[in-house]
This record gives sequence, structure tokens and C-alpha cells, in this order.
Amino acid sequence: MPEYVRKKLTLDFGQVTDYIVRRIREYIEESKKEGGIIGLSGGIDSSVTTILLSRATNNFYILLMPTSSTPQKDIEDAMKIIKIVNGENKYSYINIDEIINEFSSIVNISDKIVIGNIKARVRMTLLYAFAQKMNYLVIGTGDKSEIMLGYFTKYGDGGVDVLPIGDLYKTQVRMLGNYLGVPEEIVKKPPSPALWEGQTAEGEIGLDYETIDSILYLKFEEMREPEEIAEMTKTSYDKVIKIINMVKTSQHKRLPPEIFRLSGRAINSDWRYPRQWG
Amino acid sequence: MGLKVELAQIRPKLGDVKYNLEKHQEIISSSSADCIIFPELSLTGYILRDLVYEVYNESEKAIEKLSEENKCIIAGLVKEIRPGILRNTAAIIINHQINYIYKFYLPTYGLFEERRYFQPGDPKRDLKIFEYKGVKFGVIICEDAWHYEPIEALALLGADSIFIPAASPMRRLSTRLGIQDNWEALLKAHSIINGIWTIFVNNVGSQEEEFFWGGSMVVSPNGEVINRAKLFEEDIIITEINLDEVRKNRFFSSFREHNRDFHDVLRSL
Repeated sequence: MPEYVRKKLTLDFGQVTDYIVRRIREYIEESKKEGGIIGLSGGIDSSVTTILLSRATNNFYILLMPTSSTPQKDIEDAMKIIKIVNGENKYSYINIDEIINEFSSIVNISDKIVIGNIKARVRMTLLYAFAQKMNYLVIGTGDKSEIMLGYFTKYGDGGVDVLPIGDLYKTQVRMLGNYLGVPEEIVKKPPSPALWEGQTAEGEIGLDYETIDSILYLKFEEMREPEEIAEMTKTSYDKVIKIINMVKTSQHKRLPPEIFRLSGRAINSDWRYPRQWG
Repeated sequence: MGLKVELAQIRPKLGDVKYNLEKHQEIISSSSADCIIFPELSLTGYILRDLVYEVYNESEKAIEKLSEENKCIIAGLVKEIRPGILRNTAAIIINHQINYIYKFYLPTYGLFEERRYFQPGDPKRDLKIFEYKGVKFGVIICEDAWHYEPIEALALLGADSIFIPAASPMRRLSTRLGIQDNWEALLKAHSIINGIWTIFVNNVGSQEEEFFWGGSMVVSPNGEVINRAKLFEEDIIITEINLDEVRKNRFFSSFREHNRDFHDVLRSL
């Protein structure tokens, strides 16, 4: 990561923490819910978000939903976070292999991507079922890098009520993790959705997150030209274009489903209200 | 003998200036008309949102390409007036010469958010009349036709015909298409009051959640719709407009009477 970008992405993480914790607390109140539920994988994003949630409210609940493709290390790391937030009585451990097998046999498919997305959506379904049972919100764990790249499952890990760290790049989430005292092995672990064995984000995308974040920042916040970004990040022009194209082609995943317009006031297009309505 | 105008009701691809330019060139090269009119923001598409910052430059270059054609062409682009100041613009190309007019009224109601991106034109500087093959015309963009003054001013400055590139999205479809009826009423009123031809060229097809309904039309100074393009699909229509109709209408109307005192009242409101 160029020093220039690192400086720009380095924030006052004390203030960031205060702000996000306050916003989670307010958001829960405004939605007239009693708390928040979160899926914890043992990765950096969900670890950081779990700690922030636990600071916002005592009413938090954690689901661990591993499958056979979940590394044992992730489960151990998740347990460390549960210890940090004193959540020993506030979590459930649910192995979802059986549900996934049932789905897979009904769909009659063994494609790892299809099954991987089913895993993410089963987790979403369980989170919402628990949330409704407890009158809690589903707290999302996506970060800005993943959201911009479209590196999430629509209605899977993308199916949540609120995204507290969705405006922080992965690199910034790691810095925040350090600030919050997340164990270093979690901070340094290569990010992975673990939807299949051996899957890592950096392996799939072909660049490390420091470079990805630099490209995202320089292109979409500073509006620089790809040639200049390639030079600044010491990356090939093609890789820069690849990242930009990932952002472009995944825009549909970030927007609500399109409603075809007919009336004088169509929802979203011409009928806009704030969430805090009435 | 009149001016043959071609209404090119196209479906631009949002943000794909290259594709849109090729479409313009194709239509122009196969046209038998004197003047070819494309819809509002025809080179960029309308629902650009922040994509506007990525395509304005390319759309200005596309206009230069179009100016190689030896015709009268009206096409829509985003023009950077000063660094960072963009305007919703129509280029009027006559025999390789490029002129620009800017939208005066930028809609912000309902689905529209033009003020977020564009600076409006300035009536004191930006009202212009053009002449091609003996016909004087003015150009205004879409929303400007929902007010009296832009067309009135152009007519009094000498325009016999008004070309209106537009991006009108589908709204209020019940037993009839409400927005189409509105446009028809507006154009008829402008034509009758000012004794002019009004020529409305709409976009067609979907851009994001909006769908442009097409239905481009030519209204005579007498207030009759004398030609119409199809609804909901790309279409091209050619109409010959003449000055006789303008003349005849004005002989028997009070267009010549213009009481400026009303404008003093308006100015002091």
C-alpha cells in the first residue's frame, strides 16, 4: 500500500469506535428492537463487529454456524472473541452441514459456488429466525472492500439489517481490530468466506487487500485515472481494470431490486421517505 | 418546400458513449433529412447519477466527431463549462459548426435530481436562434417546455420552429398514458400561442428503473399533431416543416401583440 494511501486511510480509531458504537445503539432503539444478533466466523470483520456490538448493548447474541469446510482454527478464533465480549452465555453453536446436504440433494447439485451461496443464505435464514424470536436486529459484518467488489452473497451475508463497518475498507477494519484488542492472529489471518475448502479472498481476486483497497480508494474516492493508479500501487494496469470492473459489474448487488415504474409515484424512484418515518 | 426534419427516437445505452455515438453516426449517414434531432443527453443516456463524472468528457469528444457530418444535427451531451461545472447541453451542429444550448430549468421533483449534477443555463446569455435552409429555429431541453418563457422568448426573438430534445419517463399509465397527454397538451399550447412548429424528440427504453416512453411528435403552428413516432420502441420519423403554416397561423392570431408590461409585473413578483 502506498504510504500516501495508508495515511489517508489511517483514522482516529478511538473516535471511529465511539461513533459506530453510538450508531448501533441508536439504530437498535430507532427500529424499536431490543438488541442485535450477529454471525461470528472468527474472521476479522465479524470479530470487530461483534466487539462493537457488545459495547453498544448487553443484548447481543452470537451464532456460530460452521460447516465441514470451516477451518477448526476459525472456530477457535471465534471462541476467543466470545471470551473477549463475555458472551459465554450468549451464543449458539449450530453445525449447518445437515441443512446444506438437504438443500444440495433437493437442488441436485455439487457445484461448490452454488453450495457456497446456499451456506451463506442458510446462515442468513438462521440469523433472521433467531432475530425474530428475540426481537433483535441482524447486524451485518460486511466491510467496504467486500461491498464495493461485490464479494458477498446477495441475501446471504449481504442480507442484514445494518452494516456498521460497511464504510471501512478491509485495511481499516484491521487497524480498528488492532485498536480494539482483537488477537493478532485474527487480524493477520488471510480473509476467507470459507464457503469451500481453501477459499481465500485474496486468492480468488488475485491481489492482496492492501493493494485492492489502494485501488478502490484512488479510483472511487479520488477519481484518479487507471494508468496513474497502476503506477502509484505498482500494480499492472490490467489488475487495476479488473478491480474497477468488479465494482462496476456488482452494482446490482448493492441496490434494492428494481421496481418497474408505472404510476405517478413509484417506490424508490419517485416515492422516497427516510427510514425514520413518523 | 420546407425543412425536412428527422426525429431520431433512440434508446441510448447508459454511460456507453461509444455505442451511442455509433448509433448517431449510423442514423445520420442513412438519413435523407436536412436536420436530425436526437433526444436529451442522447450521447450519454439520462439516468447517469454519478456516472456523469466519468462520461462528460467523452461525450464532448463525440460531438466533435459528429461535427464531421455535413448536416444539421442536434444531439445531447454533458458539457463542462468551466472546470467542474457541468451543464445538461444540446449541441447544434450546422455545416461543421458546433453551437451549444443549455437547459434552463433543472427538475428536482419526483425522480429527478439534475441540480445535483448540473448548473442551469442563463437566459440572458444562452438564448440562441439558429437558421438552416431558411428556417429559423430555437432549441430547448425537456423541462424548459413546462414553462412559458423559454419558448415565448425564442419565438419573439424570431424562431419559427422549436426543437425539444427530451427524456420523459413513463408516468401515470392508466387507461391512457398520462404523461403523453400532458406533453401533447403542452406542445399544442406552445404551438398555437406562438404560431410555431414544436418538435418533441423523446428517449425510449429503460434506464435503471425508469422507462422512456418515446412517442416523439411534431405539432404544427395550428396545434395539430401531424406526425408521431411509436410508443415504447425505437423509431424514426421524417416530417417536412414549412413557414407557410407559421405565416397562416400568425395572420389569424394575436401573436404579434406582445404586452411587455406583463413581464414587468412578473419581474417584480
